[in-house]
Amino acid sequence: MLVVSSLSKEYSSGAGPVRVLDGVSFELHRGDSAAIMGPSGCGKSTLLHILGALDVPTSGTVTLDGQNPFALKEAAQALYRNDRIGFVFQDHCLLPQCSVLENILAPTLIAKSDSGVKDRAKFLIDRVGLASRANHKPGELSGGEKQRVAIARALIRNPILLLADEPTGNLDEATASSIANLLFELHNENRTILLTVTHSSDLAARFPIGFRMHNGILARS
Amino acid sequence: MIELIFRNLKFYWRTNLAVVLGLAIATGVLAGALMTGESVRRSLLQLAVGRLGNTVITVSGRQPFREVLAGELKGVPMIQMEAIAQHQTSGRRAAKVLVFGVDDRFWKFHGWAGEAPSARQVVLSEALATELSAADGDSVLLRVEKPSEIPQETLHGRREDASRSMRFTFKGVAPEFSLEPRQGAILAAYVPLSRLQQELDVASKINAILLPETANVQATLRNQFALADVGLRLRPIDNCQCVQLENGAGLLTDEQVKITLAEAKKLGLRAQPILTYLVNFTANGTRQFPYSLITAMDLPAFVTAKTKNTPIVLTDWAARDLGAKVGDIISLESFIWKQEGRLVTETHQAEVAGIVPLNGGPGDRGMAPDYPGISDSDDLSQWNPPFPMDLNKVRPVDEDFWHKYKTTPKMFVPLAAGQQWWGSRHGQVSGIRIYPQDARFEAALRRTIDPVAAGITVSNIRKETLAASTGSTDFGEYFTYFSSFLMYAALILAGLFFKLGVDQRLKEIGLLRSIGFSMAKVRWLFLGEGFVLSLVGSALGSLFAIGFAWFILFGLRSWWTGAVGTKALALHISPEALAGGAIGGLIAGLIALLLSLRKIPAATPKGLLSGRVDSALPTHPLLLIALAAAFGAIALALLGAAAAGRIPNSAGFFGGGVCSLISLLICFRLWLGSAKQAAVKGSGILALVRLGMRNASERPVRSVLSVALISSATFLLISVDSFRHSSHSQKLDTTSGNGGYALLAESQTPIYHNLDLPDARAELNLQPAIFASWHITSFRLKPGEEASCLNLYRPGNPKVLGAPEQFLRAGRFSFSESLAQSEEQKNNPWLLLIADSVNGAIPAAIDFNSMEYVLHKKLGDEITVSGSKLRLVAALSDSIFQGELVIAEKPFLKAFPESEGFRFFLLNGPEDQAPKITAALEEALADAGFDASPTEDKLARFHAVENAYLSTFQMLGMLGLLLGTVGLSAVLLRNVLERRRELALLKAVGFAPLQLGWVVFAENGLLLLMGLGIGLAAAMLAVAPVIKGNGASILSMVKLLGLVLFVGLSSALLAMRAAIRSPLLASLRSE
Repeated sequence: MLVVSSLSKEYSSGAGPVRVLDGVSFELHRGDSAAIMGPSGCGKSTLLHILGALDVPTSGTVTLDGQNPFALKEAAQALYRNDRIGFVFQDHCLLPQCSVLENILAPTLIAKSDSGVKDRAKFLIDRVGLASRANHKPGELSGGEKQRVAIARALIRNPILLLADEPTGNLDEATASSIANLLFELHNENRTILLTVTHSSDLAARFPIGFRMHNGILARS
Repeated sequence: MIELIFRNLKFYWRTNLAVVLGLAIATGVLAGALMTGESVRRSLLQLAVGRLGNTVITVSGRQPFREVLAGELKGVPMIQMEAIAQHQTSGRRAAKVLVFGVDDRFWKFHGWAGEAPSARQVVLSEALATELSAADGDSVLLRVEKPSEIPQETLHGRREDASRSMRFTFKGVAPEFSLEPRQGAILAAYVPLSRLQQELDVASKINAILLPETANVQATLRNQFALADVGLRLRPIDNCQCVQLENGAGLLTDEQVKITLAEAKKLGLRAQPILTYLVNFTANGTRQFPYSLITAMDLPAFVTAKTKNTPIVLTDWAARDLGAKVGDIISLESFIWKQEGRLVTETHQAEVAGIVPLNGGPGDRGMAPDYPGISDSDDLSQWNPPFPMDLNKVRPVDEDFWHKYKTTPKMFVPLAAGQQWWGSRHGQVSGIRIYPQDARFEAALRRTIDPVAAGITVSNIRKETLAASTGSTDFGEYFTYFSSFLMYAALILAGLFFKLGVDQRLKEIGLLRSIGFSMAKVRWLFLGEGFVLSLVGSALGSLFAIGFAWFILFGLRSWWTGAVGTKALALHISPEALAGGAIGGLIAGLIALLLSLRKIPAATPKGLLSGRVDSALPTHPLLLIALAAAFGAIALALLGAAAAGRIPNSAGFFGGGVCSLISLLICFRLWLGSAKQAAVKGSGILALVRLGMRNASERPVRSVLSVALISSATFLLISVDSFRHSSHSQKLDTTSGNGGYALLAESQTPIYHNLDLPDARAELNLQPAIFASWHITSFRLKPGEEASCLNLYRPGNPKVLGAPEQFLRAGRFSFSESLAQSEEQKNNPWLLLIADSVNGAIPAAIDFNSMEYVLHKKLGDEITVSGSKLRLVAALSDSIFQGELVIAEKPFLKAFPESEGFRFFLLNGPEDQAPKITAALEEALADAGFDASPTEDKLARFHAVENAYLSTFQMLGMLGLLLGTVGLSAVLLRNVLERRRELALLKAVGFAPLQLGWVVFAENGLLLLMGLGIGLAAAMLAVAPVIKGNGASILSMVKLLGLVLFVGLSSALLAMRAAIRSPLLASLRSE
C-alpha cells in the first residue's frame, strides 16, 4: 500500500521560498491505478519524483508497504528504487549504447542474482511487441517503440509502484492509445500500483481513480 | 559568416578556452624549446667572447719567439702556459690552471681596472682564488712545463728538469681570460711577463701575441719575422769561410733541410748537411776513449781506402789514442732515446777508411750545435748532461783535448750511416754548412720559410670562438625532441576539445545543413573558428614560450646542471624563435583541428539533428587488421635486425617498440569494435564493468586517443628510463667501456719514461713491490678540446691520443661500428688504425657518442686537427675515450711532432690495489701533475651527462603526462557530463552511487589499464636489450608505472566523483 501523508515540497528562489507541493495526502492499494492531471508547473512531476524517491520532500511522509524511503541511507534508497519502483519517463530515457534487451535488463545489472531475469526480459519484450527488435539500438526505434522499451524496463524488477510521467506525451493518438493499453495490461498482470501523470483527459478518463492538482494541492477529481 | 564565427567563438567560450590553452601550450613548448637553444647558444657565445676581451686575432708559436715581434705587429705580448697551482700554506691544489705572463699592455688592451701584477705578484681569477682559498699576501706556487728548444725525446732533452716551480704572492683577482672556449669556470693566474721570462730562461721571448681587428697580420708577420722566431740561426764559421744553419732544437727538420738545400742551389752555393752526435765510448779492441763527438757528413775526399764495412775517418788524435790504422774496426757506443720511452745504449761498428789531421782537417768545433751543460763547459768533468755519465772514465788526456779543441769532432762517418744510427723523428741533420758566406742566403731563406708552416700560427680567435659557440649540441633541437611529447599531448588535447566542441554542436550543424548550408560552408565556418583559435593560441603561446624557456634554463642551471656543466646560462628572448614557434604552433594547431573535423561530412543532416554521429572511424576492420599486422611485422623485422646486429640496437629496438605500440593501439581499436558487440548482461560488479566497457567502445576515437596518450607516455617514460646508466660500478671487462682497465690517469706535463718498464719505475721511485702486478699503458697526447658531451662548445681542434701498437693489437673495448674489411679487423677494429692511410688521412677511432652527438660526423668522414687529416674508421661503444680521438702512435709522431712524451695512461691490475697505486703514482709523479682515477669515474661523468639529458626528457615527458592527465580528466568529465542523463537514469532505476561509480570507473580504468598495458608491452620490447646488457633498474620502471597508474586513477576517480555527485533530477531533465 502506498501512503502519502501531508507531503510538502519547497524550493528556495531569489524571491523567497516557492511551495510546489502543499500537504498532499492520499492512499493507494495494490492493483490501484490513478491518474493525476493539472496545468504545467503545478507540481505533478515533483510529486511523482518524490514518490519514486528521486527527490526528497520538505515535509510529510511516503510509505510503500510500510517502508519510508526517505528514512533509508543512500545505498538502501537506491536498492528501494531498484526493487520497488518502476519509472516510465516521458522521453523514454534509454541508454543509446545498449540494445533493447540490454536497456530492459539495465536495472538487473545491480541485482544480487540474475537468475530468471533473461526469461522475464524476453517475456516482457514479447509483451511489448518488440521481439524482433531485441538487438536494436534505441536510435533505430520509433518513439512508440522506445516508450515500450521504457515500460518493459520499468517492469523488469516486478515493482510494487509503477510511476509514469506523461508516458504518451510525445506520441500520436493511435500510438498513445496502444501504449496506454499496454500499460494497463501489464499493470493488471503484475498487480502494481500504477500512478500516471498526464495532460491527456482521454487517458485520465481510463483510470478508476483521478486526482487533480492545482498550485501544489492535490484533490480527488 | 565572419560575424557568425565570432558569435560562435563567444558563445562557446568555455570549450574554446580549453582549445586555445591546448594550442598555447603546444606553441609555447615549441617556441620555448627553440628559445632555449638560442639562449644556450648566446650564453655560450657571451661567455666565450667575454673571456676573449678585446682579442680578435692571436699569433702563437709552438716555441717561444722574440717579444719584439709583438711591437712590430702592434699587438700585446704574452706567455700562455698550463700549470698546477698550489696554495703554499694550506697545500690546496688546482690542476689545469692557465698561466698568463702579462704586463700593463695586456691590462690596458682589455680595459681592465687596476694594474697588472709586478715583481712576484700573481693575480688570480675568482674561481682559482676560491679554489685555493687564497687571501691577499698568500704565497701561491705555480708549476709549469719548462719550454725547451731541444726536444725532450732526444739524447739532449732535459727530461728530469722539464718543469719549473715558481712562487708568487697573491695580489687580488681579475676577470677571466681564455683563448679556448669552455663552459666551466676559468682557473687563471696572471703573473708578470718579465718574471716568467726570467723563471723560464726565455728572456725577451713570448709565445703569444694578442691583436685587435688587424688587417694583413700574416703578411706583416711574413715581413717582420726573423729566423730566430722559428728557432733557426745562421752562425758564421770563420775558419771555413762558411755559415752554418742550425736549429735551437739541435736538429733541423726535414722541411728546413729541404728548403735550405734548394735555396743554396738557387744561389749557386754549396750546402753541406752534417749530423754531429755524442759517442760515449769509442774503442779499437781494448783501447778506448770516452765522450767524444762524431760528425756524419759526406766523406769521399777523406776516404783513402776502400772498406767492406761502414767507413770511418779518424782524426790523427783519435787514431793515435786508439792505436788505430786503416782497416781497423772501431766500435762506437752511444745512447739512443727510444720512442717507447727509454734510453738505450747501442753499439755500431765502422772500418777505418782514412786518417785526417785534427788541425786543418775537415772538422772544427763549430760542427756541434749548442748543447747547454756540455758545449758551454770549461772542463769535461764539469759536463752536466741530461744522461748518465761515468766521470771515472775521463782521463787527463781527454780533459786536455776538451781544453784545446772543445766540441771538435774526433771522427767522421758518412752522413747516411750517421743518420741511420742517430737520426730521430725530430730531424736527421744538426746543421747545414753553406759555402761561401753570402749575405743573400739569409734573405732568401727568410723569404722562403713560411713562419706559419714553421709553427707560428695566426688565428682569428674571435671567428673560431663564434663558430665553436654554435655548440656541439643544438639545445633547441634537443629540447624540441625532449618536449615533443608535451607538444603531442597539448595538440591531442586541443584537438579533443575542439572535437568535443563540434560534437556538442552537432544539432547546430544539422540545423545549418537543413537550412541550406553546404557541408563545405559548415567546414569553412569551423575552420574559420579553428583559425582564430589557433591564432589566439599561438599568440598566447608566444608569451608562454618565454616562461617555458625560462623554466628550462632554470632547470639547466639547477636540476640538470650535469647536462651542461655551467650555470652561466641566461634567457635571451629571440623574436626568430618566437616567430618560428608561433608559426609551427599555428600549423600544428590547424592540422590537429582539421583532423578533428574530418568526420562531419559523413553525417546526414537528419543524423546531425539527432545530435549523434557515430564517431567511430569509418575504417573497415580488415584494413585495421592489415595495418596492425603490417606494423607488427615491421616491429618484428626491426627487433630481429637489431638482435642480429644488422642495425644499431637503439634504432632497432626503439623503432620496433614504436611500431609495436602502433600495432597494439590498432588492435585495441579493433577490440573496441568487438567489445561493442558483446552483450551487457549478468549482475554484480562484472555486469557494471561490462556496461563501462560498452561506454568506452561507444566513442572509440576518444577512447583510442586517451589510450594512445597514456600508452605513449608509459612507453616513452619506461623506455627512456631504461637507457639511464646505472650508478653502480661497471665490472672490469676487456670488452666493456673500461677495456678492463681499473685506472685512467693524465699528467699535466709529459712523462717521458715508459712506466711499464722496471728501470723507468726504479728511476721514478715507483716501488716495484706495489707495481709488480700492474701494467701501465702510456699514450701520447696532443692537447686540444674535449670532444665529449662534457664540452658544450663545438670542438674545432679536438684532443688526439697516440696509442701504442701493443695496445691496438690487444683488441680491448668494444665497437659500435667500424669500416673493417678483413675478418681480423672485424674481430679487432683497432687494427684499422695501423692500416695504411687513405688519401693521406690518418685512420682514427672515436667513441660513437662523440662522433654522433659532439662532432656530428659518421664513419669515413675526415676531420682536420692541427693541419693533419684524420679519417674516422671505427666507433667505440660507450667507452672512456669519449673525450679524444685515438690514432696509432706512429702516425701520431709524424703528425704532431711537438707533442712529446706520454700524458695519458691506462692501468690494469688487481682492483683492490687501485687506491694504493693511485696514491703511490700521484705522490711519485706529483711534479708532472699526475692525476689517476678509476675508469668507472670517468664513465660515470659521461653517464651523468646522459642521465641528466634523460632526466630532462623524462621531466618534460612527465609534464606532458601531467598535461595529458589533466586533459584526460577534462575529457572524462566531459564524457560524464555528456552522459549525465544516462547516468541519472541508472540512478533512477536503482543504481547506488558506488555502483554508478563502478560503471564510470570501469570505463576509465579500462582506458588506463589498456594504455598502461600497451605502453608497457611496447616499452619492454624496446628496452629488452638494455635490460639484458645494462641491468636497467626494474625498480625505477615500477616506480614510473606506479606514477602513471596514480595519475590515471586519480583522473578516473575525479570522473567517478563527478558522476556520483551529479544531481539526479537536474540531469534527467537536462538536454
